[in-house]
Amino acid sequence: MSDMDRTDPGGPDGASVVEVKTAATAALIPTIRAVASDLAARADFDLDAISDLRMAVDEACATLVDIAAPGSSLRCAFSVHDERIGVEAEVDVAAPDTTVSTDTFGWRVLQTLADEVELVGAKDNGRPTIGIKLDKRAAALPR
Amino acid sequence: MTAADPEYGHLAPLLEEYAALGPDDPRREPLRDRLVTGFLPIAQHIARRFNHRGEPLDDLVQVATVGLINAVDRYSPEKGNDFFSFAVPTISGEVRRHFRDQGWSMRVPRRLKDLHVSINGVVSELSQGLGRAPKPSEIAERLGVPVSEVLEGLEASEAYRSSSLDEMLSSEQGSATVGELVGEADAELDRVDFRQALRPVLNELPERERTIVMLRFFGNMTQTQIAEQVGISQMHVSRLLAQTLDRLRNRLDPDTRTG
Amino acid sequence: MLDPAPESSGRAGALSATLSSPAPDVRLLTVAGEVDTLTAPRLADGLTGLLDDERSTPVVDLADVSFLASSGLAVLIHAAHRATGQGRALHLVATSRAVTRPLEITGSDRLFEMHSGLEEVLTGGGSGPAPRGAD
Repeated sequence: MSDMDRTDPGGPDGASVVEVKTAATAALIPTIRAVASDLAARADFDLDAISDLRMAVDEACATLVDIAAPGSSLRCAFSVHDERIGVEAEVDVAAPDTTVSTDTFGWRVLQTLADEVELVGAKDNGRPTIGIKLDKRAAALPR
Repeated sequence: MTAADPEYGHLAPLLEEYAALGPDDPRREPLRDRLVTGFLPIAQHIARRFNHRGEPLDDLVQVATVGLINAVDRYSPEKGNDFFSFAVPTISGEVRRHFRDQGWSMRVPRRLKDLHVSINGVVSELSQGLGRAPKPSEIAERLGVPVSEVLEGLEASEAYRSSSLDEMLSSEQGSATVGELVGEADAELDRVDFRQALRPVLNELPERERTIVMLRFFGNMTQTQIAEQVGISQMHVSRLLAQTLDRLRNRLDPDTRTG
Repeated sequence: MLDPAPESSGRAGALSATLSSPAPDVRLLTVAGEVDTLTAPRLADGLTGLLDDERSTPVVDLADVSFLASSGLAVLIHAAHRATGQGRALHLVATSRAVTRPLEITGSDRLFEMHSGLEEVLTGGGSGPAPRGAD
C-alpha cells in the first residue's frame, strides 16, 4: 500500500487527494471521520452515503489503530473522484505476521457500508504495514 | 413528601383520589387544579433555582408548572414511590429541556437555525420522491439557496449536537434512583445551577481557557490529563483554571448581579 | 466548591449516558454525544444499569447521539439480546440519521422497538408501557 505516497496531487483521473496523518490512537479518529464527512458532503454525496463513509472510515481506522505498532502513525488518504471517494488507511505494525481478523462484526459492518473493501499488507522501506482500502460511491445503497 | 409533612400532607389523599378517577370523570379538572395549586411552591422553588440564567422567571415558573402538571397526571400512588421523589426530577427535567431548547437557539445564529429547520423540512420530502437520501445540491435547489449554505447548515446541526454542553444538560440526573433523588434533590439542582450558569461565561472565554474548563468539568479529566491533551504544563493548566474560576465566581456571585 | 468533578471518575470522553425514571414504570437511559470505540464502554455500562431493573420498561434515548460506530451497534445489540432473554423489548428513540442509518443498513433496527420521539414511548404508543391506572 506504499503507492499511497506516490499518488499525484492531481490524481491520474483528475481526482483530488487529501491526506491526513495522525498518531495511531483512537482519540484522533473523530478528526479523521470529520474529514471524511466533510469531503463527502462537498463532493455532493447523498446524506446516507455521507453517513456511511463517515462510519466506514471510523471502522477502518479503529481496526488499524488496534494493531498499530506502539508510537507509530495512522495515515489516511482520500481521493475524491466525480462519483466516488477512495480511502486508503494504513499503519505500521510491529510483527510482519500481524493480521486483521475479518470474521468480526466490525468487518461485516464495514463491508456493508462501503461498496468495496480490501485488506492490504505491504512493506514500506522494510517496515511491515497493514492497510485497508475502501471505496464509496456518491449514491448510497437503498436501505 | 410524607404524611407528616405539614405543608403537603393534606394533599396525599387527594393524589390517591385523583389517580383513581377515570379519564372522563368530571371531578378530574377541579381536583387537578387543587393539586397543582397545592404543589405549586415546589415548582416555584425549582424555577427560582434556575433564575438569573437569561430566561425570565415567569417563563421558568410556567415551564416548571407544566412539569408539575405532568407529574400530577403520571403519578401512581400504588407504585409505592412518594410524590415528591417523582415530581422533583419530572419538574426539573422539564425546566432543563427548556434551557436546552433555548440554549440551542442562543448558540446557533438565527440564520443557521432557520436553515436547519428548512433543511430538515425538505429532506424527508425529497427522500420520498427520490427513493434515496437527497444530496446537498438537491436540498439547495429545493430551498433556492447556495449549496455552501446547505453544507453549513448540515455541519452546524452536527457540531452543535455533539457539543459537550448539550451533554451536560442531559446528564444531570446521574444514575441515582428516584428514591435517592429525594435526599439529593437540592444538591443535584445546585450542580445543574452551576453548570447551567457556566454556559454564558464559557462563551466569553478565549478558546484555550474554554477547552480547559470543559475538559475539567464536563470531561472529568485531571489537570495532568488536560495538560497532555492541550500541550501545556500542568502548572499552566492549574494557573489558567484558577484565573478562569475567579472570573466565574465574580459572574456567579448573586450580590454582583441585579434582578 | 467550584470543583465538582471527582478525580477518580476518569475521563468521560464525548459521551454521556444517564439513567432516570421519567414515568413510574419507565426506566430511561439518555445518551448524548458520539458512540465510538472509545466511548462504547460507557454506553455498555449505562445499558447494564438500565436492564438490571427488570420491573420497568427499558428505553434508550439516542436523540442527541451524533455518531454511532459498529462498536456502539454491537453494545446495543448485546443489550437487545439481554432484554429478550428477560422476556421484554428494548425501546430505542432515534431521530438523527447518524443513528437511524447505521441501525437500518445493518438491519439491527429489527431487534428493537423503534420510536421517533420520547413522548411516543411515555404516552404508551405501540407496545410501550401500559397507560397509567391500567393495573
